[in-house]
Amino acid sequence: MTAKSASRSRRTARPAPAGRRARNKEAIKGRIVTAALALFQEKGFDATTAKAIARRARVAEGTVFNYFETKEDIALYFFGLEVDHAIAEVRANAALRRAPLEEKLFALVESQLEFLAPHQRFIGAAFIHALRPTSKLGFSVQAIDLRTRYLAFVQELIDEALPQNTGGIFGWLAPQVFWIYYFGILLYWLNDESESKQNTLALLDRSLKMGVALLEKGKA
Amino acid sequence: MAAMTAGVTGSYVGYIAQRAFLGKESRDRKLRATHTKAARRVTNELSVLRGPAMKLGQALSLQTGVIPDEIIQELSTLQMQAPGMHPSLVRAQFKTSMGAAPEEVFRSFEPEPFAAASLGQVHRATTTTGDAVAVKIQYPGMRRAIESDFQFFRTVASTTQLSRYIPESMVAELEQQILAETDYRREADNIDFFREQLRPLPFVTVPDVYRQFSSDRVLTMSHLNGEHLDRFLARRPSQRLRDTLGAHLMELFYFQLLGIEAFHADPHWGNYLFGPNGTVGLVDFGCVKSLPHEFVENLKTIFLYPGDRNSAEFRELLAKRYSLRGETIKPASLTALVRFTDGFIRRMYPPEPEKEHIPFDFSEATFLREFIDESTKMLRAKAALPEYIFWARAESGLFQTLHRLKARVRTSLIVRKYLGRRPGAARVGPR
Repeated sequence: MTAKSASRSRRTARPAPAGRRARNKEAIKGRIVTAALALFQEKGFDATTAKAIARRARVAEGTVFNYFETKEDIALYFFGLEVDHAIAEVRANAALRRAPLEEKLFALVESQLEFLAPHQRFIGAAFIHALRPTSKLGFSVQAIDLRTRYLAFVQELIDEALPQNTGGIFGWLAPQVFWIYYFGILLYWLNDESESKQNTLALLDRSLKMGVALLEKGKA
Repeated sequence: MAAMTAGVTGSYVGYIAQRAFLGKESRDRKLRATHTKAARRVTNELSVLRGPAMKLGQALSLQTGVIPDEIIQELSTLQMQAPGMHPSLVRAQFKTSMGAAPEEVFRSFEPEPFAAASLGQVHRATTTTGDAVAVKIQYPGMRRAIESDFQFFRTVASTTQLSRYIPESMVAELEQQILAETDYRREADNIDFFREQLRPLPFVTVPDVYRQFSSDRVLTMSHLNGEHLDRFLARRPSQRLRDTLGAHLMELFYFQLLGIEAFHADPHWGNYLFGPNGTVGLVDFGCVKSLPHEFVENLKTIFLYPGDRNSAEFRELLAKRYSLRGETIKPASLTALVRFTDGFIRRMYPPEPEKEHIPFDFSEATFLREFIDESTKMLRAKAALPEYIFWARAESGLFQTLHRLKARVRTSLIVRKYLGRRPGAARVGPR
């Protein structure tokens, strides 16, 4: 909180209802993230400063730091939104409930890619950042938490489709392998120059069919 | 990166290999067991090269006779079939191409396909104005897959038996044709062309194209009524109806070949829809072939040639077909061609006017075998022009359909109708 907004809240006779305050906070956070993403895309991740983000979001620079310690935290928050969005999409899609595993996984990754599509430049930069030893994107608590959330859902899908796999070494390994696979797909997608990136769709479809078939054979 | 994953994503071969991997093994094993040793060698080569090579293989197999009938059957069903797309992929592919999801574009859209198509699959839908349509959607990345397969094919073919049978000009022709099939806009143009040109044949129906719901990878057409051959035959149609249909199919073929000088080169029975009154609905205009005008004119002089087919004049007419393309035909090849025209062709299409009313009985099994044998000899004699791949494919498709219909057709009577017919003044052929 900056001094200005703090003084304003002190002046308020009665504190705003908790719901509205939370909504306000979310709105500011959303503005910061939107501003940051636009700048990441326009100027690049590295070239974007907190000052520029604040200006674009029409908040004080300190406010940005109140919500996010670093740019990487903004990135992590964004990836969190992406994962939650994709999981929600798959859960909400009634037609997917009876679909085979490869289709569920396809729908999951596809909705992630759709979410990421407007931010490709930034995704590329985030990739490189994640490789730096000090990066929060790789093995920070938040990053691990995000991955756990994502892989728990993948595990859920696998267990649902192949209950006999649960508990086995294959069942445990599958989500871990999927994580690495997902990054392979992401990298391919970033470099896919085919029209509307349709080669990625083909790769995704075919590799998932292959992978699920392997998983099914593995149970035997 | 691209090179690294080309093996997984960029190959049509891979699609089919994947099909095998996903549980078709037993069928393949069964098939392989029925092969003769010689056939196995060639089929194995072909099975490595599935996809476009399959199409080539089909053309080849029909012409070489190296591969037994049951395998030809198998090859023809595998040919150009992309893997099935689940509803999520269909939706994604539709969206990348049309910019909106199917349910946003149509009043209703069936997520499960009702038919397989070359390079994709077909879905039923209803437009916002209530029209019943068929929406053909292409599997993603086909163009690149096909290109890399041909690259691969050329490398392998040059080191194997295959290159002995297939001249490069044929491979080039085939590649060009298959690549052209990946552009559904071109197919839409073909449909418009044929709907216009086939108007004189009242028994033929061609769908309407909905351009506003079409792109290079999505093709929306009006839904045609009618049944596929199997369904149609299951109703035990009368001999008369079968004869009528047979005559319609034959007339449709020769009207295209001699009248329009362009033909639907994929007359696999899956592409016909038969109506109860002998009507024929045509679908799938991906593979359309235009013939040079001079070629067709030459054909007209040769077809139903009444005189001595061993004469110098007839040989000259045959040789002219090659010189038109700037090629010369060897005397031995010419002799093989004469024998084919004087034997098989003459029996199927008797030139004598008094024999015109005797129908040719397509129910006989021997004629198909003979057709294959004779075509093989032609190919061995290197008497084949690139045009023949598609012609032979179209013709064998037609013959097989007529055979299954057990139709009796007055072949020469139909052909003669179009021998004198001048082609349409404006030659705006299909692309």
